[in-house]
Amino acid sequence: MGGASGSDVRFDFMHFMPYVHLPENHKDYHSTWVDFPNKFYDPKKGHALYQRYLAELVLAETVGFDAIVVNEHHNTAYSMMAAPNLIAAAIIPQTKTAKICVWGTPPNLEYPNRLAEEYAMLDVMSEGRLEVAFPLGTGMEYWANPINPATARARYRESIDIILKCWTQDGPTAYYGDFYTYRYLNPWPRPYQRPYPPCYIVGTGSPETVDLAVKLGFGYSAVFVSKTRALELNAQLRKSSAEYGHPVRPEQLPLQVITYVAETKEKAEAEASEHIRFFFEDALRTTPNFLAPPGYLSVAELKKRAALADKLHGGFSFENVNESFFLAVGTADQVVEQLEDWAAKMGTNHFNILGAIGNMPHWKVVKNLTLIGQDVIPRIRANAAAERRVAAE
Amino acid sequence: MSAQAFPPQFKRETHIVNGLKTTVLTAGSGEPLVFFHGAGIWHGINFALPWTEKFRVIIPIHPGLDEADDDPAMNHVNDYVVHYLDLFDALGLGTFSLVGFSLGGWLAANFAVQHGHRIERLVLVGPAGLRGKEQPKGDLFLLPPEEIPSLLVSSFDVIKPYLPDDPKDLDFMGARYREGGTLARLWWEHPYYRKLPRYLHRLTMPTLLVWGEEDKLLPLQNAELWRQAVPKAEFQTFKRAGHLVLDENRDAVNAVQKFLS
Repeated sequence: MGGASGSDVRFDFMHFMPYVHLPENHKDYHSTWVDFPNKFYDPKKGHALYQRYLAELVLAETVGFDAIVVNEHHNTAYSMMAAPNLIAAAIIPQTKTAKICVWGTPPNLEYPNRLAEEYAMLDVMSEGRLEVAFPLGTGMEYWANPINPATARARYRESIDIILKCWTQDGPTAYYGDFYTYRYLNPWPRPYQRPYPPCYIVGTGSPETVDLAVKLGFGYSAVFVSKTRALELNAQLRKSSAEYGHPVRPEQLPLQVITYVAETKEKAEAEASEHIRFFFEDALRTTPNFLAPPGYLSVAELKKRAALADKLHGGFSFENVNESFFLAVGTADQVVEQLEDWAAKMGTNHFNILGAIGNMPHWKVVKNLTLIGQDVIPRIRANAAAERRVAAE
Repeated sequence: MSAQAFPPQFKRETHIVNGLKTTVLTAGSGEPLVFFHGAGIWHGINFALPWTEKFRVIIPIHPGLDEADDDPAMNHVNDYVVHYLDLFDALGLGTFSLVGFSLGGWLAANFAVQHGHRIERLVLVGPAGLRGKEQPKGDLFLLPPEEIPSLLVSSFDVIKPYLPDDPKDLDFMGARYREGGTLARLWWEHPYYRKLPRYLHRLTMPTLLVWGEEDKLLPLQNAELWRQAVPKAEFQTFKRAGHLVLDENRDAVNAVQKFLS
C-alpha cells in the first residue's frame, strides 16, 4: 500500500516565528534560549518580522493548506510567540476556512481556567476552527517561568483535568486539587465546538504523556524523536488506544516534516540547507542543563536523552538530522513520494509542514508554500482519493 | 561509587520509615551524634571517622538521595522534620547532638527550631537556607551540574577520587540528576526558607557555626546572616577549605568534636 491512508488528507503549515537577526558573535553564547540576552532583540526588526510572518501564515490558506499551526516558547530567539493565542487571534479575521491550531500553550504556564477561557474565545471567534495541543513545555520553559519542573508532570495532568472539566461540565462546578482550588469553576465563554475542540498532545515520547493522550482520546504528535522512535510511538498509540476502546484515527497523528520544494533536487538543497543549519545549530542551540531542569525527566529518561541532546541541540550534521528528523527536500515529485511513503509507514494522513525554516527569507517561504500548494498537496490528495475509490470498489 | 565511599567501620542499617526505605550508617559508641549530610553524599563520609572514637555517629541518608527511596510527596522542610521524628523513634533516640552540613545544616536548624529540647548541642557547617542579599549566590540550580564538584572544594584533589574518569559517565550524571530533582521539590520555588529567620531565635542550645574560608558555593558572607540570626552561636572559620570544609580540613573536624565533647 502506498500513499496517505484514511479519509481526507490534511496539510498544516507551522511557523516558529524566529527572531533571526542574531548578533555576529552569537556563537559565543552557549544557548539562544533561557539566558541569551534580550538586548539583542530589536523591536523595530521584530515588528517587520511579525508583519512578514503573519502574512506567511495567511498565505498558507490561500495556496491550499488546511491549517495554520502556532506554538509557545519563552526567553528565546527561536520563537517570537511567547503568547501564541495572540497570534491566533490576529490570524482568525484574516482567514476563512483554515483550522487554527494552537499547539500550544503549556497548561502549566497559565491558570487552567484562563487557558480554557482563551481557547474557548478563539473557538467562538473562529466559528469552531480551533484545535489545541497540550505540551508539557520544553525544559527551557521551566527556567523562564516560575513553575517547579519537579512537579511539572503532576501539575500538567491536573491542569488538563481542570480544562476538560471546564469544557464538559456545566458551571459553576468546583475543583479542589493538589495545585489549584476553584470554588466557582464557571468559565465564560464556552467552546463553539461541542464538547470541545480537537485536542492533541505534542511531546517527545515520554511514556507518561503518550499514555495520557491515549487515555483521553487525544491525538499525539511526536517531535524531536528519531524516525524509528516515531514509528514505534505511532504503533504503540494505535495499539493502546484500541485497548481503551477509542482507536486513534490517522488524522490524530500529525507528522511533522521539514519540507522544501524547488525546481531540482540540487536547487532545493542549495536553497534550504543554510536555513536548516540555522534552525538546528543556532535557533535550537541550548545546554543539557536547560533541556532537563531538575526533576523534569525521570533519571532513566535523562540517561536516554543525554546522547541525543548533543546531536539535536547545537551540534549539527545533515546525517544526524536526516536520521532523526523527517526532512523532505527536493522536487515536488520527490517530496510527494517521500511524504506518501512516510504517511503509509506512520499510519497518518495528516502532515504538519515546517515550511518556513530557520532564517529563511520571505521569498523562499513564499516560493516553498506556493510550490507545495500547487504541486504537492493536490497530488497527494488526488492519490489518496484514487486509493479510496479503489478500496471502495 | 557511593558504596565504596563509605568506610567499612560504618554499619549499614535499613529502616522502613512511614513506608519509605531509609538507610542509616552508624559507627562508634558513646553519646549519640546525628549527622545530616548535604544534597549529595557521593563524596563520602571519611571525615566523620574521628568522631566515632568518642560518639555513636548516626548518619541517615535523606530520602530521594543515594541509597534511600524516593518519595515525590516530600516537598517541604516539615516533611523532612516529621520523617526524622519517625526515624529517631525507630532508632530509640532521645536526646542527641546534631551536626548538619549545607542542605543538612538547613534541615538541622529547622529540626532544632521545632524540637530543641532533644538537641544537646548543635553544629551547623556551611548551612544553606537563608536568603542572602546577593542571591543568586548559593542557588545550586544556577550552576551547570558539571561545574559543581570543583566549586565544592578549595583543592580539587580532595574530591577527585570520587569523580568518574569520564565526565559524561551516565550513571554519575543520572545520580546527580536525581539529587537535583529531590532538591528541586524542596527548593525550586525558593532556594531558601524565607520563614527560617523568624524561627531561629529558638536555637537556644549551645550552637557552633563552622565555615570554610574559601567556600565558593556559599561564600563566607553567608555566615553573617546566620551570625545575625543566632548571635549566641560560636563561630569558627577554617583556612584552606571550601564548602566541604569537613572533608578538606581536619582542624574543622576536630573543632566539631571538641565542641560536642
